[in-house]
Amino acid sequence: MKEKKKRTVFIDGPVTPAFIADAIQQHSIKTDIGAHSIFLGQVRSDIINKQEVVAIEYSAYREMAEDKFHEIREDAFRDFSLTCMHLYHSLGSVKSGEISLFVFVSAPHRQDAIKACELLVERIKKEVPVWGKEIFANNHYQWKKNT
Amino acid sequence: MDISVLTFGQIADITGGGSLTISNINDTDELMRQLNVLFPPMQSLRYSIAVNQKIIRENTTLKKADTVALLPPFSGG
Repeated sequence: MKEKKKRTVFIDGPVTPAFIADAIQQHSIKTDIGAHSIFLGQVRSDIINKQEVVAIEYSAYREMAEDKFHEIREDAFRDFSLTCMHLYHSLGSVKSGEISLFVFVSAPHRQDAIKACELLVERIKKEVPVWGKEIFANNHYQWKKNT
Repeated sequence: MDISVLTFGQIADITGGGSLTISNINDTDELMRQLNVLFPPMQSLRYSIAVNQKIIRENTTLKKADTVALLPPFSGG
């Protein structure tokens, strides 16, 4: 059965490996699944003007972002044959090396899982009103630009 | 008419907080003109305007109860 209810997407701080492991474990009872596709976005320690990015602070236009996540999710269920989908994005501070985006798509077959996962990540980056503030070691910052 | 405007990211830095009220405007073109006067750095910024959480593509008439938000380019993920 497809899961279509609205769910909370935002997590305070990083997405932990334990949270991800637990999410995978919870799918062992869904035996119609044959493939999971997972994307993990990790905060990269870019060097900008000789300053190292030590963390990204995420903020969002929360109401609009939740609606947009919902729309993107519904579109993926419409366009691909999926069993379930879980989307998580960090808010607040996430240190370099930590995970800030977790996209988890499960389907009976791999093609749907892989294609849906890729499309979801691209749409999330492009369409969801979230902003990242790159914090440098000297406490200065700049607003992140997605490429 | 007074319109309350939500600001985010770099724009919140420029306007000094998460929301502000702009007076004597009737549409989004007037809003942008006022913003450019009140906050000159806004003139060189690229941003979208959302009215009631939908991004608008052309000048839009505003009603008092509308929620207007100024959205710099997104950088989530």
